[in-house]
Amino acid sequence: MTKRFGGIVLDISFRVLVPFTLVYGIYILTHGEFSPGGGFQAGALLAAGIVLSRLIQGRSAGFNISGEHAVIWAGVGTFIYALTGFLPLFFGGNFLDYSFLPFPAEELHELHAMGILLIEIGVTICVMMTIIDILDAVTERADIDD
Amino acid sequence: MRMIGTIVLVIITTLFCLNVDALPTIGDINSAPNQHITPTYIEHCQHDTGSPNIVTGVLADYRGFDTLGETSVMFVAGITTVLILRENRKKAEKGGAKK
Amino acid sequence: MQILIIEAALLLFLIFTTVCILCVKDILAAAIIYCAFSFCAVLLYFMMGSPDVAFTEAVIGVVSTIYFVVALKNMNRWCK
Repeated sequence: MTKRFGGIVLDISFRVLVPFTLVYGIYILTHGEFSPGGGFQAGALLAAGIVLSRLIQGRSAGFNISGEHAVIWAGVGTFIYALTGFLPLFFGGNFLDYSFLPFPAEELHELHAMGILLIEIGVTICVMMTIIDILDAVTERADIDD
Repeated sequence: MRMIGTIVLVIITTLFCLNVDALPTIGDINSAPNQHITPTYIEHCQHDTGSPNIVTGVLADYRGFDTLGETSVMFVAGITTVLILRENRKKAEKGGAKK
Repeated sequence: MQILIIEAALLLFLIFTTVCILCVKDILAAAIIYCAFSFCAVLLYFMMGSPDVAFTEAVIGVVSTIYFVVALKNMNRWCK
């Protein structure tokens, strides 16, 4: 990574801002139970990092995710959420009742924290991929028009 | 027509501004929304859900079904946008082939 | 008392930016002023004691500004 992308501003903003934004998004996701944050904010932050890297480096960016893959991953995120909801149904609970999740835990609220983390991962993937997806569709259409 | 719209706007704004005194102050314990179910959440959230952040606890645990609906709405919005814009792209490709 | 003064100033600036968005002729300038409006709303949410909503508003303000600018670039209508 010694090649320069363009001017000094683009170079510095790619090397400093993009990794910081991605790591901060993951921190917001995993720390969302103890501090302000959660799935939606983490997904939007991660999408902002990837969109920034795409705006700087173009379509051949290192962190790039193409539009077709983004649609699939958005579905996968929603499916993770719904699966976490359906899983307790097979172990004697209600829909989205985290007390019946089949994970080893000593106390009940640990199971609840595990369920909250799982559904927030689902929300994060869905929001992030939807934002990338819409931006990709808009820019692709512009390429055709040109 | 523009005059009538301006007059209606001024009247409505005045009515809203006159009613500001009737609103409860921010963080008032005795106001109606803070007395219905909020004390229950504040007391039991840490013990029930294991998350000290009450907003996350309510959004993801007590109201988990609503958040599932929100996520589905996001997903459907993304898919709709992609379908509409990709449709244009296919038409453009066909038109370009004919030319 | 100082908090009230800051809050009143922020609310007045919010109304001012909204009127500016409506009145300005340049579309790109309207998008950028919308970003300033969003930042004002973030500060107001923080003063009302809801950091979650403020965080969401900050991130979504950035992402929506990116959307506006990309859409304007693809429309080939920068001004007028």
